[in-house]
Amino acid sequence: MTALKNFLTNLSVFIIPLLSILVMVLIFYIPRYSEFWNLLRSVPFYTGIYFWISQRPDAFNSVSAFVLGTFADITAGTPLGVGIITFLVLYFCSLHLSAYFNVKKFAYSWLLFILLAGITLLFKGLLVCAFYRSLIPLKPLVFEFLLVSALYPLLARFYIWTERRFIHLEERYEKI
Amino acid sequence: MKRQKVLFLKENYVLRILKNFMVAGLFAIALLLILVHKIDLGLISGVSKGVFYITAPLIRVAALPADAISFGYKKAAEIVNIYQENEKLRQENQELFLLKDKIRAVRAENKILKKLLHHIDLPQEKSYTARVIAENGSAFTNSLIIYLGEAAPEIKSGYAVVNEQGLVGRIDMVSGAYARVTLITDINSKIPVVSQKSRDRGILTGHNTRELSLIFTPLLAELHKGDLLVTSGIGGGLPADIPVARITRAGVENITAAPLFSASSLEIVKIIVYDILPDNATTGELE
Repeated sequence: MTALKNFLTNLSVFIIPLLSILVMVLIFYIPRYSEFWNLLRSVPFYTGIYFWISQRPDAFNSVSAFVLGTFADITAGTPLGVGIITFLVLYFCSLHLSAYFNVKKFAYSWLLFILLAGITLLFKGLLVCAFYRSLIPLKPLVFEFLLVSALYPLLARFYIWTERRFIHLEERYEKI
Repeated sequence: MKRQKVLFLKENYVLRILKNFMVAGLFAIALLLILVHKIDLGLISGVSKGVFYITAPLIRVAALPADAISFGYKKAAEIVNIYQENEKLRQENQELFLLKDKIRAVRAENKILKKLLHHIDLPQEKSYTARVIAENGSAFTNSLIIYLGEAAPEIKSGYAVVNEQGLVGRIDMVSGAYARVTLITDINSKIPVVSQKSRDRGILTGHNTRELSLIFTPLLAELHKGDLLVTSGIGGGLPADIPVARITRAGVENITAAPLFSASSLEIVKIIVYDILPDNATTGELE
């Protein structure tokens, strides 16, 4: 019984970051009937994955990135696997690079995110180009990168709130 | 540091190895998925349908409040402009009334000529109306998610999706009461078209932007800026003569066109049920 309770507690720690990203994605999916808004659809994914890995790596793992990638691919219609690899690259880079940056300071964290968002979007662009054997337009890609970078502070606020409100890691450690 | 150590000691050896290879394993699975997607096996469409079955209703629920606000705003705007709109419709009605007799005469003549030529008509297509619940327009993809409701069993992949201006895209996947539509502007879209004026054929391809390219045109094609491109019906996947795009540049090396619709203004679309392709058995016999 205690083992089950521990398992559920551990699971909830991983589910909350996932749910927080999915909630933001659903909010961004509300139709605004504007082409500008379409470019924002993927913003919660990048900001969310980076935030949770850099700030709470114990609450977000590669399986979470995999699940989000599958969700993103299927709703957007990109080839299944492209979003997954992109998010895994973001996960891997964030996990290893955040150790070298002082990510507890917001300005540094934001700078690192801009760097990683650029790398990830470029990687995704190259992957899609290779898949279709055709060049994708650069202008929307750059615009998407600027939007993702600029909106990080706004979305990070929501994730910070979620973290403080719902994740009680102190209790979890005590139980372990 | 101390906490990490506690966690570390609690984990058993197998779990630790699994954790170390987890990322590599997931990368391998993702690569495999891309490869399988490229080979186009039925397996991927099954997985996609399953996940889409869960995600599409969630998106619809999220879109409901926005729909209600949009509906309220539109109704209010309509009430404000009701007199002007009424006057405009009256004028249009008069023009259409005059046109109606001409169309009747042409239709009758057409019927006689078809009979004389023993012309075989294509089957009449059925259509269903669906509401757009989400749109994806990025550098990577251009697609829509639509709500089909009870019409879902009748809808199959490949059917044409149109609005009042012309072709919007094709059904990519149907799952539950929802479907994903690949827009004609998507990088994956290839539409066989013909110039309405010169009847020169080509394939209209998307680039994930508002600009479409016309490829595989005849060497001496007479295509000009402003010409309307309509579906050719070649291949049997789409009905013929649906307006698709208008040529914006007709150069020697490349011909570009602009779609007739604006993706951000799509709210309601029509799906044309068009099945003239033979089944597998008939195809075998024909071959």
